[in-house]
Amino acid sequence: MGLSIFQQIAAWFRSLSPDILTKGLKVALTIVLGLFVARLLAALTQRYIMKKATPQRQMIVRKIITYTGFLLVLMAVLGELGVKLTALLGAAGIVGIAVGFASQTSVSNIISGLFLISEKPFAVGDVIRIGGTTGIIQSIDLLSIKIRTFDNLFVRIPNEKILTSEVTNITRFPIRRMDITLQVAYGQDLERVHTLLAEIARDNPWSLDEPEPVIVFSDFKEGGVEVLFGLWFTKTDFLNLKNSIMKSVTSRFQTEGIRFSSARRVLSIEGEGDPDAGG
Amino acid sequence: MSSEKVRRKARTGIAVWDEVEIPQRRCAVWRFAPRSIWVERVDNEWHALSTPYGGSGAEAAFVERTQKPTSSQWRHYLHTENAPVQPAPVLPDRPVVVRPDRSLTLLPGENALFFLEIPVWFRLSCAGSRRIRIFEEPISTLSQTWFGDPITGELCYGLATRLHQGLESIEPSAFRAVCPLSITNDSETDLAFEKICLHVENLSVFRSAQRLWANRLNVIFKGPEQATQIEIVHAPPDFEDGLALAVGARQPASGWNIRKTFSVLKYFTDF
Repeated sequence: MGLSIFQQIAAWFRSLSPDILTKGLKVALTIVLGLFVARLLAALTQRYIMKKATPQRQMIVRKIITYTGFLLVLMAVLGELGVKLTALLGAAGIVGIAVGFASQTSVSNIISGLFLISEKPFAVGDVIRIGGTTGIIQSIDLLSIKIRTFDNLFVRIPNEKILTSEVTNITRFPIRRMDITLQVAYGQDLERVHTLLAEIARDNPWSLDEPEPVIVFSDFKEGGVEVLFGLWFTKTDFLNLKNSIMKSVTSRFQTEGIRFSSARRVLSIEGEGDPDAGG
Repeated sequence: MSSEKVRRKARTGIAVWDEVEIPQRRCAVWRFAPRSIWVERVDNEWHALSTPYGGSGAEAAFVERTQKPTSSQWRHYLHTENAPVQPAPVLPDRPVVVRPDRSLTLLPGENALFFLEIPVWFRLSCAGSRRIRIFEEPISTLSQTWFGDPITGELCYGLATRLHQGLESIEPSAFRAVCPLSITNDSETDLAFEKICLHVENLSVFRSAQRLWANRLNVIFKGPEQATQIEIVHAPPDFEDGLALAVGARQPASGWNIRKTFSVLKYFTDF
């Protein structure tokens, strides 16, 4: 009959010298206690010292404390096992150069992340637009930020890219302006158009009456006069305002007989229909 | 309460704010120009609906359930306590920016007393052992406006109204509270007010035999570069006798407040 697994383990422990056994216990104790203290310290700092800090700052401090704790535990364990740290650090220097070359991007992202955290161009919950992506910030981490787009996609953007790109924080300020560009056909009563747009803005429950709506006849275009219609609104009312204003403008213009411009092109082929051109 | 009794009380206008018992499967309606508030009690639920109303004045009545409007907008509130309900006039839940109907300039050292009419909201509470608020509904729809700069300003309701200088010109109303506003120009400059921001959420509503009142406000203008001092007089306004508290302030404020009240600067000059 073979020995059971427990008996095998017990036999292996008995074969160890008391010295090795003591060392093993010390290492195990260092790991358990060290990790516990590091985590406890991180939790206490977050709860009592960083209580009023932003979530991303709390996250950074927590990670710094935890990783420093892990490093100290590792050094203590290696010291206990008799590994000479000076030799290890020398080797680490060479390895560090190699790893450094390999992890340039990560380091760049970490540094960019630190800049972003200190500059605070946005916070968790803000709606931002970067490149072609618009969404709500879910988290700001050391390497990247995570965004949830309005069609519920998860997008991870490296911090380095954010630092070098133009970022628009859409919800930074409590109110904003929605600009709608219209084109009314030539020959329409522009005074009437102005009055109608002012009435549409006044009657809309989501449009703020102060700051006043902007109505500007901005350009003569190919098909008609271009009108900039800008309405101020609170940042939560975007969809309500957009939908209601588009409907109102269309229906009011229709009722009042104001024509939008429609691009028309008249093609005439040289020679055709020209009586002088001959057959 | 019979429908006759409700109608008789309603003729006094202000009595629409009296406590009323709505029996099971009955429908009550409060009519104010320009909205009607319909309330129905069905089992453990209160059903409420606000509809436009073209009439004038204020009245309350019971109607047959067959006469109630059919709408998908009815809201349902679950509340098990069977007790009378207390309708109450409350001031809007955000500050109100008052735009006087005419440009008025208060010269340095001058003091003036104005009376402003502020539309109230309809609040229905259960008058049982626990006074639970069932719902609130605006009676007049006020426009939304912004007071201050676009970064630090605040969202308010806009109200274009007349600055009355005496009570004679104000028709008693059961759904507009009269707010006495004393303004002192304690600066060296003219005070031309285009807009006045009133933090009505700090004001209580009182009722007399014929109208509603809000706390008196004493405003001292110190200059365009300095914040304005505002005092809310907590006692009922002394322009009418027998005032009783109808509803306390949403956010009670004490003593003097320092706030930006007048808008004398134009923040948006370009586009």
